[in-house]
Amino acid sequence: MKSILIVLIFTIVSLWACSKKNDANPSTDIKIISLTANFNPVMAYDTTVITVEASGESLQYGWVVNHGKLKGSGKTIKYSACQSCIGLNTITCRVFNDTGEMSDTIMIRVTPYHPGKK
Amino acid sequence: MSGLKVYYLMILFLVQGYVAWAQCCTSGNPFISEAEQPALQSRVLTTSLAYRYSHSGPYYSQDAHFTELPFQETASSNYTELQIGYGVTNWLTVLSELGYFINKTLETPGIDSYKGYGLGDAALYLKFNTYSNPRLRLSISPTIGVKFPVGMFDQEMDYVQLPISVQSSSGGYRYMANLFISKGLGKVALAGFASYEYSQLIQSENFYYKYGDQWIGAIYFNYRPWKRVILDLQIRIEFRGKSNRENEEIVESSGYDVLFFSPQVTYAFKHDWYLSAYGDIPVYNYYNGIQMSF
Repeated sequence: MKSILIVLIFTIVSLWACSKKNDANPSTDIKIISLTANFNPVMAYDTTVITVEASGESLQYGWVVNHGKLKGSGKTIKYSACQSCIGLNTITCRVFNDTGEMSDTIMIRVTPYHPGKK
Repeated sequence: MSGLKVYYLMILFLVQGYVAWAQCCTSGNPFISEAEQPALQSRVLTTSLAYRYSHSGPYYSQDAHFTELPFQETASSNYTELQIGYGVTNWLTVLSELGYFINKTLETPGIDSYKGYGLGDAALYLKFNTYSNPRLRLSISPTIGVKFPVGMFDQEMDYVQLPISVQSSSGGYRYMANLFISKGLGKVALAGFASYEYSQLIQSENFYYKYGDQWIGAIYFNYRPWKRVILDLQIRIEFRGKSNRENEEIVESSGYDVLFFSPQVTYAFKHDWYLSAYGDIPVYNYYNGIQMSF
């Protein structure tokens, strides 16, 4: 009875643990033309604007960054750097529609915070 | 004792409210000290429901406020946690917890806020009653446990991923061990608590990060001035080492050393119901590099 209880609790908790889905469906109708930043590198606590140009019908845009914060939506987004993001960071842009998706990345280097210096 | 074999299930229920002026937007569930209790007796079940409001804002560089930034940010969270403990035997207690963030918000004036919510981490602990002497009122209870990242770690808004600081889950497994020692001295009880937590590498398609190891040390003073009122004072120090990111780079602006002063009052109702209120006040902060005082 006691061991069953332990196993039961452990099982319930473990079942909650969800795995990351990976259901990318590459599209031949979407083409990413460019993915650019208005300046790079960027100092910690400063921002840079990232823009993607892509061709395709009824496009939607998704954004992910490994370190730092993203603000906005659509084809243009603002990346905010922080002191704990110092280094080379990857921003991934995913362009998608009903036919599938394409993605590209841009690397942004974040430098330490120095007031008054761009 | 065998003649008085206990078949009943005793339920203790606690409702707790916490206010914290720190520990807002760290990764994973915030620290709630309810797990730091002696082991339960056999066939005793306890449940507790805790609510915690956290607020933080100032940036720190080492142990001083850092006011040079050209913006202000505040972080806040409303968090609830359900804890269940069961004395499987007189020497083994199983504890579990599940956290839920009603909101985890990061606000910068003039900019739309970031807001995450949802399940945090779940945890399972095994607490051992290695020594208990009722005559000396002394108990020693080591614990081992695992935290499971059951909640969301890739929440998005308009297909844009929210910052890690507002994600509800820590994103990785954590393993911990602690030791709780309690000693009664007249109307006062003293307790000591030491904990170590190891965070597993968070590795995903877009993310590679490992939080530094965490050490917590605490001293508790417990006093019962009246039959139904219990006063606790906790002095707790939390230390977290620096994090690592890709290519084993050390994140210099990570890790901290914070000393908390935490008073608590508990009212004991009839039938083993308890209501507690608790404040977590940071009295000394040391942050590596420049960081928001979580």
